[in-house]
Amino acid sequence: MISIAKPQSNSAASAQLNILLIDENVQRAESIVTALDKTRYKVSHLASSQIGLLKQVDKIQPDIIVIDIESPNRDMLESLHTISHHNPKPVVMFSSQQDTETINLSVQSGVSAYVVGDIDPERVKPILDAAVARFREFHKLKDELNDTKHELESRKSIDLAKRLLMKTNKMSEEQAFHSMRKTAMDTGQKLENVAKTIVSMLRSLEKGNEHD
Amino acid sequence: MIKPEQSDITLGFIPLTDSAPLIVAKELGFFEQWGLNVTLQKQNSWATLRDKLHAGVLDAAQMLAPMPIASALGLGSSPANVITPLVLSLNGNAITISEALLQEVLKENNIANITLPMAGYLLQKVIDKRRNRGLPKLKFATVFPYSCHFYQLRDWLKASKVDLDNVEMVVVPPVSMVACLESGEIDGFCVGGPWNAKAVRAGIGMTALTSFDIWQDSPEKVLGLLESFHQKNPNTVLLLCAALKQACAWLESVPNRFEAARLLCQPAYLDAALDVIAPSLLGSCLTHKSLPPRSIPSYNQFSVSNNGCINQPELVRGEWLIKHMVSAGQIPPDITIPLDLVGRVFRPDIYQKMRLLIADQAEQFYRRSG
Repeated sequence: MISIAKPQSNSAASAQLNILLIDENVQRAESIVTALDKTRYKVSHLASSQIGLLKQVDKIQPDIIVIDIESPNRDMLESLHTISHHNPKPVVMFSSQQDTETINLSVQSGVSAYVVGDIDPERVKPILDAAVARFREFHKLKDELNDTKHELESRKSIDLAKRLLMKTNKMSEEQAFHSMRKTAMDTGQKLENVAKTIVSMLRSLEKGNEHD
Repeated sequence: MIKPEQSDITLGFIPLTDSAPLIVAKELGFFEQWGLNVTLQKQNSWATLRDKLHAGVLDAAQMLAPMPIASALGLGSSPANVITPLVLSLNGNAITISEALLQEVLKENNIANITLPMAGYLLQKVIDKRRNRGLPKLKFATVFPYSCHFYQLRDWLKASKVDLDNVEMVVVPPVSMVACLESGEIDGFCVGGPWNAKAVRAGIGMTALTSFDIWQDSPEKVLGLLESFHQKNPNTVLLLCAALKQACAWLESVPNRFEAARLLCQPAYLDAALDVIAPSLLGSCLTHKSLPPRSIPSYNQFSVSNNGCINQPELVRGEWLIKHMVSAGQIPPDITIPLDLVGRVFRPDIYQKMRLLIADQAEQFYRRSG
């Protein structure tokens, strides 16, 4: 597991993180709050049976949510992303029941959820550190994947535009590329957007010709 | 009779009126008759029920009909090959609005009472007023993102030309629904029994319409299990389906329905009063403290409807659910729906094998009894 408490990333590491702790066991919750005193984690606690969780999530804007896996409020958390379009948040679930390991194995490959055994106040800080790190890592990978996909898409449009230009304007590959680049520079647009415009224009011209 | 590969089974359920088939099969010994030793495990949330099923902590579970599809697509969790060989119930949900919203609707539309089932367009004036005065949007709750409740609520509003952007939709666990309605945190909800009846008995809301008024006879709860479990234990799955199918058939008679309501009351199951569980099972929809109940014979269906037997997981029903998931914007652009998805998740083939098993058993029984 990558630790994010490295000195070089001190600005990110020392920033305060808001935690929403959803636990009906008040005693356990209090000991967790005490254990996290004087760390970068600021805990707001909420008993599971209490209503008003939605308002709390809006108010606290938690960076991490820590919840008992047996809490009925898990379904509400599931909806934050899918229905209410909140940004996904790391969720750390704890469970005092057996079989936690098995559930963990199946959840672990998931997005942001992370199951730990019965939460032990002494272990809670490293667990949270690990969850935050995992979540950031996952999103970094996801962003990278999106960037790569986008890059591929844009190359595809540029290639297509180039080929269409070569065909319709009888240009060489180099000429086609230069003409696109010049248009992009003159109009202050991205090459990709110029390519897309060319493709749609030439396509509609082609269609028009077919009808003639 | 065939022998189960695994006879000890853990079956997950959420305490709701339509968990009746599971509870009846357990209490009346149907599982044992089919050679199974089933432990029912009460769950507090659909998300945790799903995670436990994916992990194999539960062998099978009662699920919301869209959940196996969501699991197969990896929506809200990692992808898992969940299949459904049996539909457990149809209908059963209803939309209840708070007393405060009811009064607002009456006032804004300048009417003295509302004809039930309530038309969604009556909300339009309230929505307009709230928007013009910069008041918070109307807030409706359902139970899970991948649920018929959510799609039914959307369909009701869409059919009345209510712009969904003007209404906020949230998820609240069923156990907190009534309290949230009372505190004004939400203005209405779409949920299954006994929670609508509970709100009406408590005098804090009006059940405006049932899911049967919106969609007729669409699967509500299904039996879900992992395809890998089925591969390993094909006989166990057939026997489990046979016992549950028997319970569904038993629930067809009204006198039996009342007995079922008594079983559901117990602390191990719904832990709720008979007067909130029994009505929907007997085809009665409580509406409001000062209004008579509506007769909705199909409020909870477990075995047959006007269109015949309901327990077979029809592919066309699966397609219909996927259509709603797409329309609700629940399929992210990076997920493509495989063409064989419904056929992989909805398994009428297993259902048909189970039918043969039941027919075979019946024949043997008659032969023995001469």
